[in-house]
This record gives sequence, C-alpha cells and structure tokens, in this order.
Amino acid sequence: MNLFKIISELEKVDPELMDRLSHRRSALSMLGDISKKMALAAAPIAIGSAFNKAMAQNTLTNPNDILNYALLLERLEFSFYDQALKAATLTPVLTGVDRAAIETIRTHELAHVNLLTAALGSAAAPAPANGFDFKGAFATYDGFLTTAQALEDTGVRAYKGQANNIPRTLNPTVGGTVVNLLTVALQIHSVEARHAARIRYMRRGATAGNQTTIFPWINNAEANGAPAVVYGAGNPAATFPAESNLAQGGIANLTTALGATYSAADVSAAFDEGLDNTTVTAIARATANF
Amino acid sequence: MSKLLNSGGDEAEFAKPLYVPIKRRSFFMYAGATAGATALLLSGCGDDENDDVVQPGIVSLGSGDVGVLNYAYALEQLEAAFYAQVIATPYANISADERAALTAIAKHEAIHRDFFKAAITAAAPTMIIPGLTPDFSKVTFSDRTSVLTTAKTFEDLGVGAYNGAGQLIQNPTYLLLAGKIVSVEARHAAYIRDLITPGSFSGSDVVNASGLDQALSVATVLGAAQAFIKEKINGDNVGK
Repeated sequence: MNLFKIISELEKVDPELMDRLSHRRSALSMLGDISKKMALAAAPIAIGSAFNKAMAQNTLTNPNDILNYALLLERLEFSFYDQALKAATLTPVLTGVDRAAIETIRTHELAHVNLLTAALGSAAAPAPANGFDFKGAFATYDGFLTTAQALEDTGVRAYKGQANNIPRTLNPTVGGTVVNLLTVALQIHSVEARHAARIRYMRRGATAGNQTTIFPWINNAEANGAPAVVYGAGNPAATFPAESNLAQGGIANLTTALGATYSAADVSAAFDEGLDNTTVTAIARATANF
Repeated sequence: MSKLLNSGGDEAEFAKPLYVPIKRRSFFMYAGATAGATALLLSGCGDDENDDVVQPGIVSLGSGDVGVLNYAYALEQLEAAFYAQVIATPYANISADERAALTAIAKHEAIHRDFFKAAITAAAPTMIIPGLTPDFSKVTFSDRTSVLTTAKTFEDLGVGAYNGAGQLIQNPTYLLLAGKIVSVEARHAAYIRDLITPGSFSGSDVVNASGLDQALSVATVLGAAQAFIKEKINGDNVGK
C-alpha cells in the first residue's frame, strides 16, 4: 500500500487536494497512524474516511437544521435591506423605482423569515440577540449594492447547496397548508435569483458602482467588486465548484463538448453553482457581526 | 423553422463518449461507488415503456427521471429556438445593451438544450425525444413588446417548471443540475421583466405573499408551452 501513490493519483483528478489536506494536519496525522497500526487490507476504507473528513463541509443533515440555517440567512438579508432603507446616507441616492425594488426585496425576505419560522414552530432558533451589524455597508450606494449582490448571489448558492439534503417526501403543514419542503426551498431559491439579477443590473448606474459590463447572471467567477469567495469553490470542490465551472453532469468541458463551440463566459453563466453551508456561513460572518 | 432547433450545430459529435476514463474515475472516487453507479443509471427507467405507445405527431416525454430530463429538454429547445430567432431578426431599434444581453441569453438556452441532449443521449439513448418544431406564428419578431412579452412567458414558465419538477427527480445529480439551471432562468426572467416594466423583476403575478416563486405542474407547463410547439407533447408519466 503506497499512500503517496494514492495521493498522487487523487491529485491528478483534484489538483487542489494537497491544499485542502495541508490545512488539516489532523487528517494527515490520522493517515500516519493508520499506516502504522492498521492492517493493509483495511487501509483504503480508513483513508477514504479521512479524505471525507477533510472535504465534507456540508454539515447539515437534519431538516430542522437546514431550515434554521435558511432562517439565519433570511434574517440577515431582511435586516440588511431594512437597515439600508432606513440609512440616512442612502436616502438621497436610493430613490424612485430602485428604492421600490429594494422595498420589494425586503418584503420578500421578511416573508421568507415568517414562512421558515412558521415551518420550524418551536424548533425555530432565536434571532441573534444583538441583531446584525453590517459594518459600514451603507456608507455609499456603491458599497450597499456590492454587499447586496454578494448576499443575494450567496443566497442562491446556499439554497442550491442544500437541495440534496432535503428529503423529497417531507410535506409539513405550514400555516394550515401541506407543503413539500423541497419545493418550497426551490421556490425561495428562484426568488433570490430574481433579486440577484435586479441588484446586479442596478450596479450599472453611475452612482451605483458604474459596473458597465455586469449582467444579471454570473460570467466566469467575476466578482465585480464583491468578495471573490462568493464566486469561488466550496467544499468539496467536486460538488461545489467555483462559478467559473465548465463541467456539468460528467461532461468535462461544455465549451467544446456539445458540438457547437461556446465561450467560457456563456457556459459558466448558464449554470449557477451550489455552495456548502460552512463556506456560506463564513461569508455571512465576514459580511456582518452577529 | 425547425432548422433553428439545430442551429447550435449539435448534431454531429454526439457519438463521442461523454464519460472519458479519467472523469469516470474521479466521479467514483468522490461520489463513492454506490452513489456514482446510481448517478450513471436512471432510477426511473426500470419501468418497461409499454404504456408509452408511439403515435405519429405525438411526442411522449417518457417516465421517471428520463421523463423529467426530456421535459426540460423540450422546454430548452423551445427557448433556444425562440432566442435564436430573436438574435437572427432583432426587433426595431434594439439597443446595443439589450442585444448583448439577449445574445447571452440565447447562448445560455442553446447550452442548456445541447447539454440535455448530450446528457440524455449518454444516460438513455433510446429514450431521448426528437428535435421539436416550434411554432412562433403568434410572435412578431420585429416588435420589441411582442418579443419581450413572449420571452417573459417562456422564462417565468421555465422557472415554474423546474421548481415544480424538483420533487419528481430521484437522482441527486439531476436535482442539483436542475437547481443550477433554474436560478439562471430566474435571472433571465427578472431581467426581461425589468425591461418591460422596471421593478417587476419579481412581481406579485409570479411571487406570492409568502415570497415564493411559482411551482407549476407538468400539465400546466405543457398546457402553456403547447401553443408554441407543433408536435403534441405527452408528459403524463414524467417523474412517475
């Protein structure tokens, strides 16, 4: 059993493997212990679990935990827009149809908070005691919209990243109505995408960041001033690649594999990518203190 | 008009293998052998298709997951053909910005169409539906309002279709793929809606008081899409 040969083989299919592992010394030392103590025949299984431990970052499995995770994100978003609409710095610039758009988005985020709270019932986590501090995000219109873009695009990735953790047959009664939980999550997910599209296009304005080439969709992994991590790979990267991903459904590169030739920008924009809850939560905590 | 469906040049090269050895290996390494094997099979195609009798002029989408994939493929064919025509014959006084955005949307939809064709061909080559013949006779391509109104119909319909179909999908890989595509359709929908009426990106006609987008049944979606497709589409067994 040549451990280094295995890692070398894995590196061929996952060039970032050693980066991931080197940040997790415990996983490496665990591999060391295994090579000394365990029967060779059992080693592959143990090594497999070590790699899983290093890479599995979607830590939510219980539906209530997933709902509380969504609830935290929705509370964060609602508070963000609520504070923005009340911020004196934004009053002169956030006007007319753009102000109405942000009010619409705030209304949706509050509706999501209320829906998730109702779905969780007594299992709903309490809101953060001291609310959310967005650390100067409302000082300028440009800064506000940049953070809004990051939150909405992250929200889209967050829901997508949980799609396979929600049982397809979970049909709770919410507000007297039987709903399919996966469907509800998808219905919220696409509303967040609509918000993201709107926010991204608002950033084209001269006082809103002047992002003259931004589109409502994500070309490559272009962050347009938002934190790069919002568009980067999650863990495991094989499941949650960066938004620049060109491989889908086992097809290595859609720019050339589909008969016609497509640009990397168009292929990457045609598919949004999911993100694990650990990465999403880190983005949220970098955006606000709570 | 049917030529438009093939304008992506997607006919020739599908014979080449989609799962090259290194990719298959990485897939199994990370997904685990059981999940990988499941992903390469279609959980819904165990049923014999005796109930899907082939009739002239009628296209059956099939059952199970492959039915859902064909359902998506049918809708993406429709959208791709529509935007290809929009770009080929742009409406009067189209702005450079709108042309750029609509060109990008046309590419996204063509990629979705070609991707589904490739994915279904790889997973269930005998069950893929043929290229459909669109009917855009009610669309005035020279008129901005007519084009954008039709685009809004297609995009909102697509969002509602994917949202409604999610719970029908058994294979996790396909569910995640549907999720990857639906949010792009929602971005398109929001953009098109804002072109028609600024601020209508998530209007109350599509997002309800609970902040939820539409989730439409297969029957509802096909009922609306049928007006734009010459073949009769049968989706009775999609996801079943």
